[in-house]
Amino acid sequence: MALLPRALSVGAAPSLRRAVRALTCAMASPGELQTPAPAAASFDYLVIGGGSGGLASARRAAELGARAAVVEGHKLGGTCVNVGCVPKKVMWNTAVHSEFIHDHVDYGFQSCESKFNWHVIKEKRDAYVSRLNTIYQNNLTKSHIEIIHGYATFADGPQPTVEVNGKRYTAPHILIATGGVPTVPQESQIPGANLGMTSDGFFQLEDLPRRSVIVGAGYIAVEIAGILSALGSRTSLMIRHDKVLRNFDSLISSNCTEELENAGVEVLKFSQGVQTDDKGHIIVDEFQNTSVKGIYAVGDVCGRALLTPVAIAAGRKLAHRLFECKKDSKLDYDNIPTVVFSHPPIGTVGLTEGRNREVMVICASSSKLLLAKITVCKLHQPFSFWGSARWVLVCRIFSVCPPSKCPTSPTPSPLSFSLSPRLQQLRRFQPTLLPLGYQISLTNTELIKNLTFVTSVFLQVVGIHMQGIGCDEMLQGFAVAVKMGATKADFDNTVAIHPTSSEELVTLR
Amino acid sequence: MAAMVVALRGPVGRFRSRTRAWTRGTRGAANAAGGQQSFDLLVIGGGSGGLACAKEAAQLGRKVAVADYVEPSPQGTKWGLGGTCVNVGCIPKKLMHQAALLGGMVKDAHHYGWEVAQPIQHNWKKMAEAVQNHVKSLNWGHRVQLQDRKVKYFNVKASFVDEHTVCGVDKGGKTTLLSADHIVIATGGRPKYPTQIKGALEYGITSDDIFWLKESPGKTLVVGASYVALECAGFLTGIGLDTTVMMRSIPLRGFDQQMSSLVTEHMESHGTRFLKGCIPSVIKKLPTGQLQVIWKDHASGKEDTGTFDTVLWAIGRVPETKNLNLEKAGVNINPENQKIVVDAQDATSVPHIFAIGDVAEGRPELTPTAIKAGKLLAHRLFGKSSALMDYSNVPTTVFTPLEYGCVGLSEEEAVALHGQEHVEVYHAYYKPLEFTVTDRDASQCYIKMVCLREPPQLVLGLHFLGPNAGEVTQGFALGIKCGASYAQVMQTVGIHPTCSEEVVKLHITKRSGLEPTVTGC
Repeated sequence: MALLPRALSVGAAPSLRRAVRALTCAMASPGELQTPAPAAASFDYLVIGGGSGGLASARRAAELGARAAVVEGHKLGGTCVNVGCVPKKVMWNTAVHSEFIHDHVDYGFQSCESKFNWHVIKEKRDAYVSRLNTIYQNNLTKSHIEIIHGYATFADGPQPTVEVNGKRYTAPHILIATGGVPTVPQESQIPGANLGMTSDGFFQLEDLPRRSVIVGAGYIAVEIAGILSALGSRTSLMIRHDKVLRNFDSLISSNCTEELENAGVEVLKFSQGVQTDDKGHIIVDEFQNTSVKGIYAVGDVCGRALLTPVAIAAGRKLAHRLFECKKDSKLDYDNIPTVVFSHPPIGTVGLTEGRNREVMVICASSSKLLLAKITVCKLHQPFSFWGSARWVLVCRIFSVCPPSKCPTSPTPSPLSFSLSPRLQQLRRFQPTLLPLGYQISLTNTELIKNLTFVTSVFLQVVGIHMQGIGCDEMLQGFAVAVKMGATKADFDNTVAIHPTSSEELVTLR
Repeated sequence: MAAMVVALRGPVGRFRSRTRAWTRGTRGAANAAGGQQSFDLLVIGGGSGGLACAKEAAQLGRKVAVADYVEPSPQGTKWGLGGTCVNVGCIPKKLMHQAALLGGMVKDAHHYGWEVAQPIQHNWKKMAEAVQNHVKSLNWGHRVQLQDRKVKYFNVKASFVDEHTVCGVDKGGKTTLLSADHIVIATGGRPKYPTQIKGALEYGITSDDIFWLKESPGKTLVVGASYVALECAGFLTGIGLDTTVMMRSIPLRGFDQQMSSLVTEHMESHGTRFLKGCIPSVIKKLPTGQLQVIWKDHASGKEDTGTFDTVLWAIGRVPETKNLNLEKAGVNINPENQKIVVDAQDATSVPHIFAIGDVAEGRPELTPTAIKAGKLLAHRLFGKSSALMDYSNVPTTVFTPLEYGCVGLSEEEAVALHGQEHVEVYHAYYKPLEFTVTDRDASQCYIKMVCLREPPQLVLGLHFLGPNAGEVTQGFALGIKCGASYAQVMQTVGIHPTCSEEVVKLHITKRSGLEPTVTGC
């Protein structure tokens, strides 16, 4: 699920943390178990949290023959369906209509004077969301997954056990997929903080607020500010620094700030006082294992890539590992594409320019040593066919210099980077491009100057960052290609689809 | 990829520099004799391909000229520099498609809480003016670009005198002789008129005219089943005009047929009328100024008649080769379709004369392929490159009301090539989130990915029917060009909630017979 401000800080419920601790103790000293617990209902797989990740994992496990149960204290579907992606996108679509209505006159439609009625969309949106709740319910019933209503706490027991409304449930595998909730600043930090609302409250609003202040610079803040402003609320966005989306590519970050201001959102910069707490995530390894055997966590509660499809994919991979004996089944967290439904929307996948900027690598080609510099550079240009837009292709340049130019005594350390399958495939044609090597320090600027031989074949596109109309639907296919390790040459060789915005990405010179 | 091609092609590269030196010498002599202007490269046709080739060659430091001339349509429509795409094709088409989509949006708006005063009227004149102004700005842009790159532009109708010389005639009848070492023919094509049908030429219009009409076409009959026909009928219906499509046989020949029928099914359910298996026989002008069309229904053998304000022919296109005097230069055409016969290097039967774009035989009639071919040709001629245009996996999108984007093989082609037992088709009917609140019917929102059956299941083709298909398809085309397999597509995390994520979620095979309707996130 994309929406809620776990990015700012996830407050994994403290009670849950306590529960995990209790369980750890129990496991550490099983002999100390005193009172025999009342008999617990037992399952093969117990999932705590009926959101995207939990439901996907439970259903996949059930398909693989496991007896599964889902514990959920609220509505099924979790953040995504109830207070996240789904209602958010509905509101975004609503806001996009206001932009269309502006365009109508230019396209020859007359008398487009319009008023906006918040009640209509609120009602339809709620109806749609509850339809989805029912679908989720039916899906679980069809898959013979038991739904346990209530909130789970871990309990002592010989096997991982949880307690819901006084009843005990046990399973050899328990998945924590409880997601997160928006953070509210402490009353002691900001007096009156409780008078504000979070994204959850936004979806309960019965009327369009006439005047709104959104505090935060993350994508949820940007999305909500854009929606409110487009629908006619006088909107201010209060941010701590000078730009929104500061962990995005710098071009996107400044462009989005500009777009917000152009759209009439007042951006209040350098304001003081909002602190976020970034603790509370459950720590998991790449296989979603927590520190306790038999207990796993997926999704927002882990604090990594807080997106619905990530939770779904991780949940399914886990089910395959647990119930199909696929030992190495895990989610690859690299190159996860994501879209911010700002106005216009932002699409981003892969590295930004800021990270991994320059890495020097020594390549060993059978007998001789070659030095390769990997630079992350960006190629960008604005495009404007269907409205203002900008995008950046971030590329890794693989350049190779002759062995004589190699630094004298590098301290070899294990290489942290490996070639993608696509580049390995290209290696057949470019034998100098070998992945074996060692990382060295970056201090020798003289060497960098000597590196010249660069062709588009050596340009691996490692990131795409864009903002513009249509970027939301454009990104997915490009993400497949970036994941495959597509090079700039591959982009050049792809024929454009005319006239679209996406063709700009393959026609860059 | 380019580098691979270079490596493979290197040894067979032609001795172009030597040939060039030789022709230069002879041309110098001719120059002294006559007063003609001579160039390294002369491009006939200022459309997408021709302009791209000319500009690229100029950037490589060559002396380049472009000869472009628009013969008015039978209805008298004419336009500026830039060719079909800019003036009477992609650009105005997509803008009018956008106008139609906006019309749908107005209808939807009240579901989203917008109280829009109904009914909303559409004003053709206003739209056409806005579209035409944009086109004119593009015409101007092309002129400026040629000037910036020092490409000499001649607004003349060109025909060959000999294999190195072309005679250009301007509007006033003044002639200019142009000669060049290399000549590129990029004259494109024009809509076909069914001249055997009485009244067709006098009363019918084509896509050359529709975008330049000053008044609304009113009740329109579109004849044909090509993408041009369906796109025009789609936007005409969308802006509220009574529109009928008359087609002889199947829609979108050459495209995947399952997708094609979904496209027409969607149009039918959104108000476009279809007369299938019908052929018009006579067009008459009534005293009211309306057109009476008589047609024959081939299934029943019966004749029928209807009255329309406009009849639009979209039954195909013919290459512009008739007026070029190609025989003077010795350039061969295919007598069946009048297209210029070319080899893989885009060379015609005369080695220094080339043809690119719609006028060349066997090439897709698409702007981006013509542009790419033009640029690559310029590099082969003047840039020490030998890279050829790769025509495999060319993506395209049909901008019907529900857009259809595709790349690679259709299901039929894949089965014909690899056999039914080696092809796996993943498919899904999905409902765009945008449609849910407005209760829009999504029965035709459908995706299918055609793969090899053997793991890792190489993707052979992707077909996407739904909103924003053009934007969705481009990136996947890149992936497929890189050799994506089904497994690799599935490894990519989805973007939620979008329509494009449905592609990376495809998991139901046709072979399984399971219900392919997507439910939930």
